[in-house]
Amino acid sequence: MRLHIPTASCLALALLLTTATSPAQPRLGAIRGRVDVQRVVIPAERRPNPADLGTPPPREIPDLRRAVVYLETAPAAALESRELVRARMDQRNETFLPHVLAIDQGTLVDFPNNDSTYHNVFSLSRTRKFDLGRYARGKSKSVRFERAGVVRIFCDIHSHMSAFVLVFSHPYYAKAEVDGRYRIDNVPPGTYTVSAWHEGEVRETKTVTVPPQGGDVDLDFVVQ
Amino acid sequence: MGMTWPRIVRAAAFAAALHVAGSAQAQTVPSEPLIFGGGRVVVGGDAAVSTAPEDEGFFNYSDYEQTTLRQIRVGMSALVRLSDRVSFLGELRSENFEYVTVFGLYARIRPIPDRSLDVQIGRIPPTFGSSSRRNYGHDNPLIGSPVAYQYLTSLRADSTPANVEELLAMRGRGWLSQYSVGNVHADRGVPLVSAFTWDTGVQVSTAWKILKASVGVTNGTASNPRVSDDNRGKQIAVRATITPATGLMIGGSIAQGEFLDRRVRALLPETGHDFDQRAAEIDVEYSRDHWVARAETVLSRWTMPLGTGGAVTTLRAAATAFEGRYTFAPGWYGAARFEHLGFNRVATATQTDEWEAPLSRLEVGGGYYVQRNLIARTSLQFNRRDGGRVTRSQLLAVQLLYWF
Repeated sequence: MRLHIPTASCLALALLLTTATSPAQPRLGAIRGRVDVQRVVIPAERRPNPADLGTPPPREIPDLRRAVVYLETAPAAALESRELVRARMDQRNETFLPHVLAIDQGTLVDFPNNDSTYHNVFSLSRTRKFDLGRYARGKSKSVRFERAGVVRIFCDIHSHMSAFVLVFSHPYYAKAEVDGRYRIDNVPPGTYTVSAWHEGEVRETKTVTVPPQGGDVDLDFVVQ
Repeated sequence: MGMTWPRIVRAAAFAAALHVAGSAQAQTVPSEPLIFGGGRVVVGGDAAVSTAPEDEGFFNYSDYEQTTLRQIRVGMSALVRLSDRVSFLGELRSENFEYVTVFGLYARIRPIPDRSLDVQIGRIPPTFGSSSRRNYGHDNPLIGSPVAYQYLTSLRADSTPANVEELLAMRGRGWLSQYSVGNVHADRGVPLVSAFTWDTGVQVSTAWKILKASVGVTNGTASNPRVSDDNRGKQIAVRATITPATGLMIGGSIAQGEFLDRRVRALLPETGHDFDQRAAEIDVEYSRDHWVARAETVLSRWTMPLGTGGAVTTLRAAATAFEGRYTFAPGWYGAARFEHLGFNRVATATQTDEWEAPLSRLEVGGGYYVQRNLIARTSLQFNRRDGGRVTRSQLLAVQLLYWF
């Protein structure tokens, strides 16, 4: 798995020092488009366990079509302080919901358990290692994600449960809707490298220019 | 021991099977089960490489040549869904590539898809006990296996002692036991409950609220599971568990089945005795936060002939285990298990002694998740046995475990 986001954040900081921006407030634009996920992604199955005495309970199938589009290099506006918010990743029917969570650096993510069995959320990703231990239905534990990067989330009890948390050091990202549409607002004029990430990897990278007069710029991706 | 050509061929064949499975996902080492046919076929696998000093007391042997602490163990499991009512499950295992065993192979039928009632037919998982069905890699925090399921007593189904003296002479020699009635060739004895093979038969399981229950009818017994029947006697086993609170599970099992091989039975006078194994078990598991604690007691009773003159003896065994696991940092855990295996006493003209040598075992260890499905772990095992050629041993084992 290629981890592009930490690289992006480092580059963003470097560019912040070098990008020429006019002293006058520029008109902001938006990058919008559609991510056409053509690759077939089959949800992870339970490991076959012939030692089971019967059929395991049904589980929810996560939505694996959602891509995340983001700027590899952030404009100076990324320095503006943002209000820290909370986000939520549920555990329901032995599935993490949502399957992909895109958040700002510093966000506190709640992991409530909505199942009648224990879950044990953990991550061994370098970006954020944690192990929340086992807790029951109705309880929740939280993790703050301080560093930018990709964090893979697992359950220690149910090996088929997995999810992604994408932590960004800038606000120029968007998670695609069910139909693939996305929109990144408030982008200052300039030329940017934009990447489409899907299921653990950057699938396509393109360059786009937001004109000085602002406005919407269309940029579509195809994930194969 | 050198690797023979047939062994190399078998090893290569098994590795090739893994390679074909692995190549199905972009030539990478899989971290998730492999899925074919839109989810109708799911294949998982695991491999464990363990090493330890020579176990001179044969405390961890599963037969004369195989110790569970020094082996390469490879397994593949598969699920084939024919419909929402019928699926097939199977598991292949190989130890040191010396042979490939069809560990489990059965059909699972769910007559009413939305009702929790399953019928399993074929070479099925054990109904009896809790540890017997635990996934070795993921659910067993230590390298050694629980003594109730692994330690070989001197008892055999195809051979019996002529008298108590002969029985006592085999104390602490379950890895290579030999008696004068029946099969006179030396072979391994049986554990209280076998984790080495699965039995063959039919199993019905259901669940209702906090209760789960299973009933199985099989060819062998808890200590001697079989593919084909060796004595025309069936074992009936029942297991029930309740989960009164999340994280707390209390279970119990009973089993009774004909133990003695018909070739030994044919040598005995008709006395009306059932030479059977009866077993009972109770287990508790409680987990919370970063802790998992387990306790289990297994009781077993075999009714066995002594010689061919009609003498009968009752041999009892009891195994108790306490196990705990604590995750003290992401990817790091420690674990410990204390066990004792005891036996009832039998008398000769001059002495009274346990029919097998009592064993106590303490195993402590820990593991580190190199990645989610690759674990490096180590354990230190202390064995103390009241009999046999070697009565004490300390074994430091290390293991690398991979699964997908």
